[in-house]
Amino acid sequence: MTIPLTVIGGFLGAGKTTLLNDLLAQDTGLRFAVVVNDFGDLAVDGDLLAAHGGDTVTLANGCICCTMGDDLLLTLMQLVRRPDPPEHILVEASGVADPRPIADIAVLHPGLNRDAVVVLADAVLVEETAEDQYVGDTIRRQLAAADLVILNKCDLLDDYDQNQVRQWLAAQAPNAAIVAARRAQVPAGLLLGVGLGRETVAAEQSPAHHHHGHGDAFRAVSFNLTRPLDKAAFLAFAADLPKSVLRAKGIIQLRDQPGHWVFQLVGRRHELSEAGTPPSENSLVFLGTPEMPDEAALRRLLQDALN
Amino acid sequence: MAETVIYVARKIITMNSYQAEASHVAVRDGRILGVGALDDLTGWGDYRLDERFAEKVLMPGFVEGHCHLMEGSTWRYHYVGYHARTGPVGALHEGLDGIDAVVNKLARIEAEMSDDKTALIAWGFDPIYFGGRRMDLSDLDKVSTTRHVLVLHSNGHLLNASRSVLQAANITAATNVHGIAKDADGEPTGELQEMAAKFMALDAVGLDFAAEVAEKVSLDNFGRIARQTGVTTATDLYSTAPEEASQNLAAWSSQDDFCFRIAPAFAGASMPAAEGVARVAELMKLNHDKLRFGLIKLMTDGSIQGLTGRMRWPGYYNGAPNGIWNTGPDQLEGLVQAYHDAGRQVYIHTNADEASEVAINSIEAVLARSPRPDHRHTLQHCQMADESQFRRMAALGIGVNLFSNHIYYWGDEHRAQTMGPDRAKRANAAATAERLGVPFAIHSDAPVTPLGPLFTAWCAVNRLTASGYTLGPNERISAASALRAITIGAAYSMKMDQEVGSIEVGKRADFAVLEDDPTKVAPETLNEVAVWGTVLGGRIFPGRDGD
Repeated sequence: MTIPLTVIGGFLGAGKTTLLNDLLAQDTGLRFAVVVNDFGDLAVDGDLLAAHGGDTVTLANGCICCTMGDDLLLTLMQLVRRPDPPEHILVEASGVADPRPIADIAVLHPGLNRDAVVVLADAVLVEETAEDQYVGDTIRRQLAAADLVILNKCDLLDDYDQNQVRQWLAAQAPNAAIVAARRAQVPAGLLLGVGLGRETVAAEQSPAHHHHGHGDAFRAVSFNLTRPLDKAAFLAFAADLPKSVLRAKGIIQLRDQPGHWVFQLVGRRHELSEAGTPPSENSLVFLGTPEMPDEAALRRLLQDALN
Repeated sequence: MAETVIYVARKIITMNSYQAEASHVAVRDGRILGVGALDDLTGWGDYRLDERFAEKVLMPGFVEGHCHLMEGSTWRYHYVGYHARTGPVGALHEGLDGIDAVVNKLARIEAEMSDDKTALIAWGFDPIYFGGRRMDLSDLDKVSTTRHVLVLHSNGHLLNASRSVLQAANITAATNVHGIAKDADGEPTGELQEMAAKFMALDAVGLDFAAEVAEKVSLDNFGRIARQTGVTTATDLYSTAPEEASQNLAAWSSQDDFCFRIAPAFAGASMPAAEGVARVAELMKLNHDKLRFGLIKLMTDGSIQGLTGRMRWPGYYNGAPNGIWNTGPDQLEGLVQAYHDAGRQVYIHTNADEASEVAINSIEAVLARSPRPDHRHTLQHCQMADESQFRRMAALGIGVNLFSNHIYYWGDEHRAQTMGPDRAKRANAAATAERLGVPFAIHSDAPVTPLGPLFTAWCAVNRLTASGYTLGPNERISAASALRAITIGAAYSMKMDQEVGSIEVGKRADFAVLEDDPTKVAPETLNEVAVWGTVLGGRIFPGRDGD
């Protein structure tokens, strides 16, 4: 099994650390690793950091925090080669880093797979920062590389301004799904791509995600598939999914091709890869905004592939 | 009492303002007791007159203010550059004038390798001189279809990998990441560009350059090259200074036969600033007469020839998008502030002119909050700075260490591709720095270009590119100025000018021993002045072993 790698990008102050702190505080049921530039701002137990005094800390829930030091690649190698490798790796890119080459590492490394590039943007400042003399083009590059943009601090904007910045973002990040958030709060499933349904239910029960007009609410849809699918029609279905679908994942069978296939979608990016171990059932899970089509509508969109 | 030795030389060029030339220098306890005529020195008591340098010219030992100890480790691999280059064992490695010549050399080496497992690694490859043809898999197939072969390019940004390396790194036509060159049929050519792809290739053959730099053999190799080129003080301009490697460096460099003084510059962004400040304070406890921790190196942009330097408008001449920030403007200012407040001297890597602007802005902001006279913060490379930037540097007390060797090695490319004919004329503008009173040094960035201060001086004096074009004649400086830059100028930039950089009473007895007088030869032949060897702390180090 290869370890999914998610890159968390975005300019200084966009909310990357807040997002990671929020994630570390949740019970995701997953032993993931967070690779950061600096422990300084992470809300992990200070005594724990002092006790280790090194570059890596293991938390009570099994999650790992480590600093990338001078060499991100070496840090990733060490994580992959651990006797107890993490089940998912999130890399916090520096404020001026292009997240794309970091995601490329996961494409190339046999122990990793590229999950997603998630870029945070400060809803109030991003347009202005994107015009900055020195870092404007860096910000625009980050957005263009994103599969998912988390438009943070939306609680500070009224609906009209939020709409404006969303339109601007859609042009900057044509391949990305955009999701609004406050205090960088999003369901863990949006970042980690597993158990999409479960976290979403948890998220919808959390008051933090119920501020309509501030942060987006999320909904999940899942259903089982009883028949193999037509590959071309299924890929067309995936390509045509509305942008309200932020992530999707599933195990499917294809007509004319033996075995089981893993389907993954983040923003506009989707791929099919061979499944290692056959699952007990074939299913698809979708995580999206409230505008996402419901189960009946999604099944209708899938009709061509089922026929 | 320690012995006093008086050396007589054909000429001693002192770089010392009150006495520019002399015939004799007296040495006691590894330091300079006096300079002048014999009569000026005999009053110090008994002495031994040493005439071995009677026909030589002595200069202060050369100071290379911007190079890397990797110059010592890179020679364990095979040099395949276009320009002839002298290695640590004194052998001249012929330049190779085409891909076929490179392939032939590697095939000969391969045929003599005794086992099948060892990777064949070459460095210094420079296809820009080969009229557009790139190396591909079919070339390296002629070297070996089974052995791992890697050819590192001289620009530091590309490498060519053989078929077996691509297989081991799992790089195929289906691999869809940036930085993997592909042919018309979509097959990888073996040329790899970006970090991830290069790392996979290096990992596949099990290379770890950082570890090799810290080995004794690498330091010995560096020392041999230093002796051959007259260098007695050098820097290692990006060191993460791991504990064990630092302890080893402290021990090895304290030995009598260690023939240069070394100042590693700590990679200031490799850990949070507060930790970095404390770490450097720890490292400085290791310091002795041949080891100087304390310098800080910060990065801004990438490189101009790699198209990753940060340029101001109108950007790259060939239309390439602007480069990248390794450290962004906000973070840079915070780092400068932290190390400045700790009393450290900060070197900031800036290649293109926007990076220089941001570095100057950062230092200006820090100085406004925390004034400190004689900080000697220095921009390193600073290859594209214009006159207004040099004026700001002069006003703020910022020094510069210019990458003069670039004029020769990449000047043609800067003219044609990156800067264009106009801005290339001000590349590494030493005359402007001098005229505006910006303290300046000049450097090789070895192993990016060869270690050799007299060659670096030749570049600054003549500004000839590899094709023979004079790039920006107005920015040429005199031989006298260039010789200052590679001695007292570089020593000043390291805050070591009280100790090295001139032949002056009280300073270390560090000399470059030359076969000819660089102030008398035609300026266009400055690079041909032969180096006999060096003297470090009064100890004699011939350039050639066994000579």
